[in-house]
Amino acid sequence: MTQVVFEDATLKLDEGESLLDGLLRSGHEIAHGCKAGVCHSCLVAVDEGTVPAASQKGLNDAQTALGYMLSCQCHPEDEIKVKRVDTAGQLTQAEVIEKEWLNDQVIRLRLKAKLDYKPGQYVTLWKDASLARSYSLASLPNKTSEDCSDDNELEFHIKVIEDGQFSQWVAKELSVSDNLFLQGPLGKCFYVAQTDQPLLLAAIGTGLAPIYGILNDALNQGHQGPIDLVVGAKQASNLYLVDELKTIAEQHSNVQLHFVVQSLEAEAGDLQQGDIYEYCKSTCPDMKGFKVYLCGADSFVKKLRKQCFLSGAGMGDIAADVFLPAS
Amino acid sequence: MSVFEKIGGEAAVNAAVDIFYRKVLADDRISEFFDTVDMEAQHAKQKAFLTMAFGGPNNYSGKDMREAHKHMNLTEVHFNAVAENLVDTLKELQVPQEYIDEIVGIALSVKDDVLNVTPETA
Repeated sequence: MTQVVFEDATLKLDEGESLLDGLLRSGHEIAHGCKAGVCHSCLVAVDEGTVPAASQKGLNDAQTALGYMLSCQCHPEDEIKVKRVDTAGQLTQAEVIEKEWLNDQVIRLRLKAKLDYKPGQYVTLWKDASLARSYSLASLPNKTSEDCSDDNELEFHIKVIEDGQFSQWVAKELSVSDNLFLQGPLGKCFYVAQTDQPLLLAAIGTGLAPIYGILNDALNQGHQGPIDLVVGAKQASNLYLVDELKTIAEQHSNVQLHFVVQSLEAEAGDLQQGDIYEYCKSTCPDMKGFKVYLCGADSFVKKLRKQCFLSGAGMGDIAADVFLPAS
Repeated sequence: MSVFEKIGGEAAVNAAVDIFYRKVLADDRISEFFDTVDMEAQHAKQKAFLTMAFGGPNNYSGKDMREAHKHMNLTEVHFNAVAENLVDTLKELQVPQEYIDEIVGIALSVKDDVLNVTPETA
């Protein structure tokens, strides 16, 4: 008769009853299908408690790391607190600690907040009750100060768009010490890999934000395998954090840095001219065993995902963070 | 024991689905049906299909199979192409021939539904 806490409600599972059946019996609406651990409709996430191994069978690395469980296969032995997956959750307050232009279009915004996250996940930032946008985390959740406060640093790369309500506000009005609210983190595009696995990290535009986070996360966790980081852009002026990336590549012999620019006026040092898809194909022709992280516009992610899959990468090994424009 | 359990259950499906998906994308007879924009959704469908074909747990009724494929106007050529790619996948995974035969048998059992065969068209 295991006790389960779900969304402020407490229920007791009958003998042999799965978590899904218990939640349904108690009147909660939980999507479900096969009740056999195959269709993955019934996913929930653990909030507190031990995850029974059987409930994670068939889940990918990211889902496992996030504590997801197939509720139809979940028979907890001890009390467990669970929640729905992919819910934004409560609003957390954040304070602006830094705001800096990285090139003529991109602002690096650093906040501090009591929020734990995995680099590469995303957070929704609220200007006020009516305006919010989601941005990916480029930082590692390091403590902002030496005192015992549990604030973490959060770094975002904000592309400033001409008619962008949120980005224009960030550019023109938001200042250091201002407060804003955020929700999250969400997203499954974060570093989970074998230490010697080859990685391909590919980004265009501010897709570099989560990729930068994932790169640093991988290195921070001691990733040994080769890491190919490919950054694409239309023109050289769209690139940013170039020196920082070069420094990382110099300090880590397993990191290969590639800048691929569509229209390059003159071959400029380590910038290459070309098409990012062709470039990835020639740099990584056989992708069997690779872990792939793709971040940027929808069309880019879809095209490169297909290419990497056909080159041998497992579908479950390709993680993506898609940037969709606000409607 | 079902053939699904005999060949290794979900692990077998996971090993097969990427191989099968790449094969159908490369097969001109049927690639148009599988070459969709949402690869992750297509991948999930293929995983469900293979689970069913391997005799594993599934929710498909004959009616579901019929409804899902009706609008595609499929013919024997299409069905055979999928079956061939399925067999090639299993051979690549070195599944014993007797299990391959069992799996083909399961696939054949839904043929009329997939091709929307009715008493008039049979």
